[in-house]
Amino acid sequence: MSTVRAPAIELRGVERTYRAGLPEAVPALRDIDWSIAPGEFVSVEGPSGCGKTTLLNLLGLLDAPTAGEVRWDGTPVGNRSDRERARLRLEGVGFIFQRFYLLPTLTALENVELPMRALRVPRAERTRRAGELLTEVGLHGKERAFPHQLSGGEEQRVAVARALANRPGLLLADEPTGELDSGNAGAILALLEKVRQDREATLVLVTHNPEVAGRARRHVTMRDGRIALDVRGA
Amino acid sequence: MMRFGFGSSLRHLRIQQVLAVAAVATAVALPVILVSVGGGVSAHELTSLENAGYQLVVSASGEHGITSAHNLSAQILGLGSVTAASPVLSVAVDSFLATGGPSPVLAEGVIPDQFTPTLGPAESGLFPNPLPLGDPTDLVHFANGTYAGRASNDVLVSSPLAQADGIATGASLWLGPTANRSQAVEYNVTGTFGVPLTALGPTGAFAIVLPLSNLQVMSGLAVGTNATAHDAADTIEISVTGTAASDPATLDRVRNEVQRLVPFYFVGSLDTEAQQLQSASGVLTGFYLALSSVALTVGLLFLALVLVRRVESDRRSIGIRRALGLPRRWIAREIVGDGLTLAVLGAVFGVGGGYAIVEVLAAWGSGDVRLAAQWAIFDPGTLLAIVVGIAALSLLASAVATRAALRVDITEALR
Repeated sequence: MSTVRAPAIELRGVERTYRAGLPEAVPALRDIDWSIAPGEFVSVEGPSGCGKTTLLNLLGLLDAPTAGEVRWDGTPVGNRSDRERARLRLEGVGFIFQRFYLLPTLTALENVELPMRALRVPRAERTRRAGELLTEVGLHGKERAFPHQLSGGEEQRVAVARALANRPGLLLADEPTGELDSGNAGAILALLEKVRQDREATLVLVTHNPEVAGRARRHVTMRDGRIALDVRGA
Repeated sequence: MMRFGFGSSLRHLRIQQVLAVAAVATAVALPVILVSVGGGVSAHELTSLENAGYQLVVSASGEHGITSAHNLSAQILGLGSVTAASPVLSVAVDSFLATGGPSPVLAEGVIPDQFTPTLGPAESGLFPNPLPLGDPTDLVHFANGTYAGRASNDVLVSSPLAQADGIATGASLWLGPTANRSQAVEYNVTGTFGVPLTALGPTGAFAIVLPLSNLQVMSGLAVGTNATAHDAADTIEISVTGTAASDPATLDRVRNEVQRLVPFYFVGSLDTEAQQLQSASGVLTGFYLALSSVALTVGLLFLALVLVRRVESDRRSIGIRRALGLPRRWIAREIVGDGLTLAVLGAVFGVGGGYAIVEVLAAWGSGDVRLAAQWAIFDPGTLLAIVVGIAALSLLASAVATRAALRVDITEALR
């Protein structure tokens, strides 16, 4: 299994409005025109409620825009059916969440295997590969541990390994260090940078923390559902 | 199974699982018990009817309701195609050995040479043939209603009674209508007869057979006493020739002839009884199934509620799976798999529980309940059909939960 090539991502006139249960439509994203080149490391900052997570959800096809288009390599994918977007996520996107979101009834190894099972990777192959990924994130020997037996830092490492399971070209991390102490946070960020470089994957990292954002090569700042600032730098 | 569980504690999950399995098991046990016992009783009755050595039976309302039993029997015997007409009187009497207190026994009064031909293939081997009860026609003692002739005072005792009381052939046994020995008359035990294992209740096992006239006199059901009934019997069992027995039209003709002789009594055909029994059995089975389907519906509703409740508490877990890109059919398959597992477990426990309950009743129940439980029939095909049916119905229960799971909004679930 080779790494899926990172797609060039474009957002054209993207808007996302929430209505359900609310008296009036609430715009979460407004008229976003934006693109990410393959292999970029982008941080997305901004105050709470500015639309960072919504943007990440649209990039990762977890959600569909109310208006506009999300394109991967020039192909509109944002408004495809649930089934098609699920397939694209499974094959091309790795998610890392703030609260890890491991399945508590599965072991660390089984959590990492899960996306590969969905792609029907043979059992021996996926077990071997999940073991290698856990070793790569520093969890050799913890394969049989359940999430509640792991520390927060270890859980997030498992989540990183799971995100890498199908060798995605796009890694999306939503406050990946938000629930970790500084030591673990640094280690996770270093790990993310390493795997991004090793795999030439695109990494979009949403954070409140300027220090975390500072590790990225490109910095996006959002306000009120719009991209207020987009800076490339070292 | 049960790989969800993000939002609920393991203990809650287990309690829900156990309750769901228990609900389905209870719902399954009911039809298992009803159908197996009901079917068994019907089958037993049908077998009894099919194995009877007689084809027609005269009966009257109330106990000992047939009068002039000897004469009626002789008249019926005179009809064409009739080979035996056996009046039978059943009365509970008391028996005494040379020493000791009374033992209640069930006495059957019969005319020996008429009784033997009405025995079916299963019963005939249990009785000595001819019956060693003195006068085979019972007409010497009966003497056309005077009861003035010599009574044989012979009696046959059942093997269990003989064994329990140590009664040997040739011994004396005193029989009387009450527990007062002074009213008892000495009888000569001329032999024993077997009792079918399935009838080994106290009343069926401790039985005696004696000439009809003797029992009529002993129990006050004879001419010349103050009793309101004379020459009484409970039924007259009628055997016909083999040709008549196998031809419904001839049998019906004989039945009508008998009915003309006894216009105030009911003349039933065992064939008709068998058909009525089968029909009643069919109605009962339908009733059992209707009752069972109510129980099953309740069980499956509970299962559906448990599954939907699980989906509600596992929204985040479902959201994670869907966020990772796992296909919807995976989630559906897991819920259906859970539903199936719970339903099949419940069905298996229900079948096992139903079987165990019937076995316990058969071993330790009392009276008719015990007897009915002993006759229960467990048809593997029916039991398998119940399990398969439950599994199929569980798909409906799972469908409700699956629909709820597939409507989980990923972004909301992960918020």
